[in-house]
Amino acid sequence: MSRDVLIKINYFLVAFWLIGASLIVMHFESPEKLIQGEWVEKEWRLEKEDLHGTDDLQIQAALRKEILRNVEDLHLGIWKFYENGTLRSTTPEQGSEIEWFIKGRGHVLELRREGKQIESFQIQQISKDRLVLHLNFDLQVKGIIEIVLERKERGEQYAEKV
Amino acid sequence: MKLGALTAFSAGMVNVASVTVFFAFTSNITGYYAVFAQELSKGNWYQGAVVLLWILLFFIGSFLSNFVIIQGKGRWSQYISHAIPVVLEFLSILFVGLYLDFFYQNSLQETEFLVGALLFAMGLQNGLTASISNSVVKTTHLTGLTTDLAILVSMFSKRENRNNNALVDKFHLLLTIMFAYVAGGLFGGLGYVYFGNGTFYLTCGILLVIALYDFYKIGRIKRMFIKRHQEVCSI
Repeated sequence: MSRDVLIKINYFLVAFWLIGASLIVMHFESPEKLIQGEWVEKEWRLEKEDLHGTDDLQIQAALRKEILRNVEDLHLGIWKFYENGTLRSTTPEQGSEIEWFIKGRGHVLELRREGKQIESFQIQQISKDRLVLHLNFDLQVKGIIEIVLERKERGEQYAEKV
Repeated sequence: MKLGALTAFSAGMVNVASVTVFFAFTSNITGYYAVFAQELSKGNWYQGAVVLLWILLFFIGSFLSNFVIIQGKGRWSQYISHAIPVVLEFLSILFVGLYLDFFYQNSLQETEFLVGALLFAMGLQNGLTASISNSVVKTTHLTGLTTDLAILVSMFSKRENRNNNALVDKFHLLLTIMFAYVAGGLFGGLGYVYFGNGTFYLTCGILLVIALYDFYKIGRIKRMFIKRHQEVCSI
């Protein structure tokens, strides 16, 4: 194959990837849309750096509370992501609200109160039904907390089925 | 060396500022290739497509820089060829700063778009420095540079290499770029604390200095050339 043809293939490939990626970004649901709605905490998993063979430790309530000390609105285990960018656990009340933002390529969930960042999570997985968040913490030991949430509608359906 | 140091400094600034504002690196794309594969393997098509777009924008930036330089030979002056990528980079970074100040609503789409603009700017800069230096200098990422530095340090274990001025000069150049990049990062991080989005305007200021310095340097070389030519003709 001549080099003139090869360079044309190069240009074609770049244009193809560019158009293809743009179409996917335009037509697929972004994490910002997917996250909107009501989510129920299903699981908390602690992955400590200095613990071996104990991957699935249940986090004690006190520790969980300590970790979420800045986001007491979420202590009921329900995360409601409103379209207007606010996050609550129960019915809206007067007072300072938590705002949520998705950053990076859609892999960071940032929570702010009065413009100040109070927490940021790594979005490990996000789909219509499941949201997995990772939180780096530095309390007594360094480690990662995995928070698994499921969309509320689905959780209710499952409860009814059971 | 001065040009390399200044461009590396601006790249370090942009990179740290973008991580602070957007949670995304913008001066290096090695990691994005891995992230692209990771997102695809997880079935995250949207995120994968965003990362692919970013990589392509960096590619297009580098392509444009070299394209302007090689197509400009014989058509317009060397200074114009060097200035076009710097001006485009300046405009991209200025656009990001202005958008953040006056329009930014913190939405994901805006973040992706602005990160894309910064990656395009860094691609322009990397393409420019690599084209000027025959691919010896790359100022927006340090993977290759660290490898080259390590190779040089190991070469200096032999006495004859230690006495080789070309190798020593290269070592000084790479070391300068490395420190300039880190210093730019520090300045970008601290600058964001004090100036906020103004950090992007500061980067634009540095790019202006680069453009003017290049203008001065090319002008000086031209004047020297004319002077020598006149001296030779008078003899």
